[in-house]
Amino acid sequence: MNSSNIGTELPPTAVAFIESAAASFQKIPGSAIVIRYIRSSYQNDPIRSLVELFLFIFAVRYLLAPAYSTKKTKNVHLTEDEIDELVEDWTPEPLAGEQSEWEKLENDRIPVIIGPAAPKTKLQNGRTVTNLASYNHYNFASNPELTAKAVNTVRTYGVGPCSPPGFYGTQDVHMKSEADIAAHLGMPACIIYAQSFSTISSVIPAFSKRGDIIVADKAVNYPIRKGLQISRSTVRWYDHNDMEDLERVLAKVVKEGQGKPLTRRFIVTEGLFENTGDVVNLPKLVELKFKYKFRLILDETWSYGTMGRTGKGVTEHQHVDPNNVDMIIGGLAGCMSSGGGFCASTEEIVEHQRLSAAAYTFSAALPALLATTASETVTILQEEPSIIQNLRENIRAMRAQLDPRSDWVICTSSPENPVMLLVLKEQVVKDRGFSRQEQEFLLQDCVDECLANGVLITRLKSMPPALGSSPRDQEKEWLPRPALKVCVTTGLSKKETEKAGIVIRHAITAVMKGKKWQR
Amino acid sequence: MSSNSKDKDNRRRRRSSSLMYQEPPESLEQQSDQAVLPNLNAQWVNAKGAWLIHIIIILLLKIVYDIVPSVTQETSWTLVNITYMFGSYLMFHWVRGIPFEFNAGAYDNLNMWEQIDNEDQYTPAKKFLLAVPICLFLVSTHYTHYDLAYFMINFLATLAVVVPKLPALHRMRLAFLNPEPQPTDQ
Repeated sequence: MNSSNIGTELPPTAVAFIESAAASFQKIPGSAIVIRYIRSSYQNDPIRSLVELFLFIFAVRYLLAPAYSTKKTKNVHLTEDEIDELVEDWTPEPLAGEQSEWEKLENDRIPVIIGPAAPKTKLQNGRTVTNLASYNHYNFASNPELTAKAVNTVRTYGVGPCSPPGFYGTQDVHMKSEADIAAHLGMPACIIYAQSFSTISSVIPAFSKRGDIIVADKAVNYPIRKGLQISRSTVRWYDHNDMEDLERVLAKVVKEGQGKPLTRRFIVTEGLFENTGDVVNLPKLVELKFKYKFRLILDETWSYGTMGRTGKGVTEHQHVDPNNVDMIIGGLAGCMSSGGGFCASTEEIVEHQRLSAAAYTFSAALPALLATTASETVTILQEEPSIIQNLRENIRAMRAQLDPRSDWVICTSSPENPVMLLVLKEQVVKDRGFSRQEQEFLLQDCVDECLANGVLITRLKSMPPALGSSPRDQEKEWLPRPALKVCVTTGLSKKETEKAGIVIRHAITAVMKGKKWQR
Repeated sequence: MSSNSKDKDNRRRRRSSSLMYQEPPESLEQQSDQAVLPNLNAQWVNAKGAWLIHIIIILLLKIVYDIVPSVTQETSWTLVNITYMFGSYLMFHWVRGIPFEFNAGAYDNLNMWEQIDNEDQYTPAKKFLLAVPICLFLVSTHYTHYDLAYFMINFLATLAVVVPKLPALHRMRLAFLNPEPQPTDQ
């Protein structure tokens, strides 16, 4: 080794060390390959080799680095003693909290009926009262033919398939009911759900996901709210039934979406509103939906079977082609005297739900007897539209006793709605300075007074506050006005209905004039 | 109130650096949606065979490009490099979210690389996935005599998939390549 050009000789120990290192390197198996690789990769270009060396060193450093989590976890390390102490100190909260005074009062006053819910119902205390608190609008519940057919179905099919429809729950009667309802509405296809409540709250998240936009009416019912919540979509609200406000919101959404990836967009509203009883302006809604390119999900749970000449719902009532509405959701549990709900739409939309709607996929199918009952009641509505006329007459008779005549309440429901919601007049509330809670109390007194006079009605109770929400949160949310609920039925004659109406009116007057609510 | 002020903070942070921004952390609701199920979209990278398939694909690509007549070794290796890098960039760094639906879009803001191993860094799968393109590049330079242009093309292709894998660039987005995230709802 000649190192005279460096100027200094390496010490002999260093030379010996380098030689021994080279010798031992050559002894390592595979060292020849490494040397050959470096020699042939070098290619007379030191910069390239440097780049490669840099990449290699970087890779080795990356491979040797220890793993770590980017999530910030704030775990406090406790000793065994501390853990024991904490466990001992902990006292569990009760699963259900103490009843508030109002809840106690409400529960104490719930009447218990004996036997089926008929227009004349027997109470636990032996009295027979006029039942205006059931959605038995056409009195199908006491129809002997329907009962006989339901019994026959139970004998043939058993009580229920006990399986989700996608497994072995679907029976021929379900497919028949779907076809019957689709034919009734005049839509291409229909899918039946086993629960009315979970129909809409399952249809919305089946189509709308995180990042999608839903424009909804402020007064939509509780199941819709649950659906909106589960869907994780961006929800924009518009004022109740205010089509100008809706147009403003739609225009804003369209403007905000310009230049961004396209998302699914829906308008969600009800046909007949559960919380206010009024009816949607469907022609205008369809016009806006086409203008701004939204899809329309219409919840007809309360309007299917009651609105329109043959009970097809708001589309028939307001002369709108149902195919202009993208999804019509209806309930079979109310006036149809069956159970479950449905979504009628195009073939594609219906088939999509068979795999992706949670309530359809994971819940046992509708019992066969309810499916056949639904088919039967749909047929009755089509064959005898006169019963709908009878219902309308009873509604008119009841309304004549209440809305214009009563000094205290007005009816917010539309004239065709058999569920009449009676709210206190704003002037009355203002004059006496009633709070929400006081109004609820007062209306409960009215319900009790009616029951004492042999008429069973109820209050609007369909918007429970969100679990764990503080009163301040609740103030920000839209809340329905406290209301009395009177459900008209054809099971009573016009005269009986009028009589019940008079009882209700007098009961309200008696409560309002009583000492308890004077201010 | 609190969510509002947080929202404003996020927006301000995005504005201050217009070229690059960091994906804001997910909302509590989104985090709980992520935790409901294991992320099936990112789990398979730890599965048997998922590592081997990279090598198999690279070999197959090499064979396919070699079969084409009148393709030199340089062109063939460069094509293998570019194809693999482009494919893996598309898969791991470009596409965000999950192509199939099972958790209501809980990972819509994260690309595949960021979903792997629950956002942890330096995990075995990530180490392997980083080592593959580097090894491929080193092997290809070894077996060929690249001129400067070929060398630069191959090197830049490698950098394109190596740089986004760096832990320092976790959740970082180039503003001109990615649209601003949608404002969270009030």
